[in-house]
Amino acid sequence: MASRDVVQYKSPLVVAFKIFSVIFLTVYLIWTLLPIFVMFVSSFKDLLEAFNIPEVGDWAGVTVFFDFTPTLKHYHSLFYDNNFGEYMANSLIAAGGSAVIAVTFGSMAAYSLSRVEFRGKGDLFFWIISTRMAPVVAVMVPLYAIFRSFDLIGTLPGLILAYTTFNLPFAIWILKGFFDNVPYSIEEAQMVDGATRFQAFMSILPLVAPGIAAFIVLCILFAWNDFLFAAIIGSGGAKTLPVATRELVQPQNIQWGAIMAAGVVTTLPMMLLGLVIRKYLVTGMTMGAVKE
Amino acid sequence: MARISINKVWKYYGTSPAVRELNLECDDGSFVSILGPSGCGKSSTMRMIAGLEHISAGDILFDGQRINDLPPKDRDVAMVFENYALYPHKSVFDNIANPLRLRGFAADKIKERVTSATKLLEIDHLLNRRPSELSGGQKQRVAIGRAIVREPKLFLFDEPIAHLDAKLRAHMRGEIKHLQRSLGTTMIYVTHDQLEALSMADMIAVMHDGELQQWGTPSEIFNRPVNAWVAGFVGEPAMNFLSAELRSEGGNTVLTHPNFNIPLLPQQVALVNGSAKREVRMGVRPDALSISTTRPDGPVIEGRIYVTELLGGDMLVDVQLADARIRVKTSTDFTGVADDACYMTVNRDKWHLFDIEDGHAYF
Repeated sequence: MASRDVVQYKSPLVVAFKIFSVIFLTVYLIWTLLPIFVMFVSSFKDLLEAFNIPEVGDWAGVTVFFDFTPTLKHYHSLFYDNNFGEYMANSLIAAGGSAVIAVTFGSMAAYSLSRVEFRGKGDLFFWIISTRMAPVVAVMVPLYAIFRSFDLIGTLPGLILAYTTFNLPFAIWILKGFFDNVPYSIEEAQMVDGATRFQAFMSILPLVAPGIAAFIVLCILFAWNDFLFAAIIGSGGAKTLPVATRELVQPQNIQWGAIMAAGVVTTLPMMLLGLVIRKYLVTGMTMGAVKE
Repeated sequence: MARISINKVWKYYGTSPAVRELNLECDDGSFVSILGPSGCGKSSTMRMIAGLEHISAGDILFDGQRINDLPPKDRDVAMVFENYALYPHKSVFDNIANPLRLRGFAADKIKERVTSATKLLEIDHLLNRRPSELSGGQKQRVAIGRAIVREPKLFLFDEPIAHLDAKLRAHMRGEIKHLQRSLGTTMIYVTHDQLEALSMADMIAVMHDGELQQWGTPSEIFNRPVNAWVAGFVGEPAMNFLSAELRSEGGNTVLTHPNFNIPLLPQQVALVNGSAKREVRMGVRPDALSISTTRPDGPVIEGRIYVTELLGGDMLVDVQLADARIRVKTSTDFTGVADDACYMTVNRDKWHLFDIEDGHAYF
């Protein structure tokens, strides 16, 4: 097999571009990682230490960022005084529940849209995706009215349903593309071998695993980071982490330490999810299945 | 094992027919090949037999039982796909075991059957590999293994060796034919490669534009094509066609062309329906002509050598005539070179005359 690398020759322009890209990436990394670093470090600092900031231009003073005695008191107050354990469970259930429901129905709908020809299919597909075209705030009032008449406000099932409303069209849209790439002959072989249509559908799910994994990440991220639905539909009984964090800002004082700790608690699970699911995101599962 | 009857079957996609009133009778245990170019309806026919396509009209019967409305899983057929259609996330063993698992066989029975099938196909050392770790030929054997392990009534092979390289293809032709003979299972084998059909099948159905052109043994298809289309499709190098005229000359019926005047054999005269002067198409295979640079006795076709091609054991000579170019297969001893005058004699037992209008064969 030939080399897979793109051949590149050194010209002054290429060298200049390389230097530029290194500088750009360095600045970009500092820009994106510094706030996360400050959040992480501050969550272990006493409030006085956290606000100990060097003068502008005093580069030697950077060391004061690292000059502190670590403390877990903010985490303690988060979980013992502010009930964050429950809010975290709410976030997990809402995000996970809507992801599971959206994947289950989304994959079946996407498979049908990919495989079955029926009248009005194009219109139906457009209609499904068009539900994502309106901004969430635009539908919030009618959605709230509907949810209230079903007594779903302030409940976890209500929140799950709200997230599913927005994630399901997305799931159908993403997964249809993945199903379109699975050769028909694999299901056909299954059916000739003795499988029902549903068994054949189940048998090709491993081939769309990268799509399902990608979607689960996006779906959980959407629900986990959501503030609007959680504040309005989940308010009260189904408080999630972003809403609970917001409530740490009180008129009389802002609990910076606890907010930083809450930020860490909110960010870490998503980072872990990214690490766990990374290998499923690698496409190429279908390679070698069929001769193209 | 089963006898397959296809009765007046039609297949429509929208309003355009892909298969037109197809009738076939495949004997129990026979090897039947459906031969035709792409788009001729051969794959549609196979997919209707497998149950992957609805039958628009007509009936398909297995041993006299109508199977039109049975889903694929209840037809007891096994299919090998052109692209193999292996499950990429399963090992070779699991791929081959899949149809048995779907039918609820016991684990030890599955192991026994898979082992014997893989031994037969000489892939028993690959059981733990994934399809992506196999070569084309090995994948193809796994696909065949998956078909034979269930011991079905009928095999459906859809161009199974089209993607292999030429040498392996030649090898697999022999293997598949031997396998079918030893298992004795009825086989329907779809291909666009006339050589595969001729070399493997007991009976060949030649299809073109959704219509069955000819149904016969390989030698009937090759030696007595029913029309010019079949004659041109079957055989490599392809048959030469020339427009010529039938004429009466001194009691003989003669085929005339700017380059030759050759009388028909007496039994052939009877077949062309009278000696009235008219245009016909003459067809002759490259190996039914003999070529020489010196003029032999008797009626000859005169031409000029256009190019010669050495094919290892044989030589192909392209000869320029007044209005066309024809190819002649000869031995490597032939010494003519381009632009030489040459003379060809026709083996008149092996030439064909076709109607100029509808292409049907007089003989």
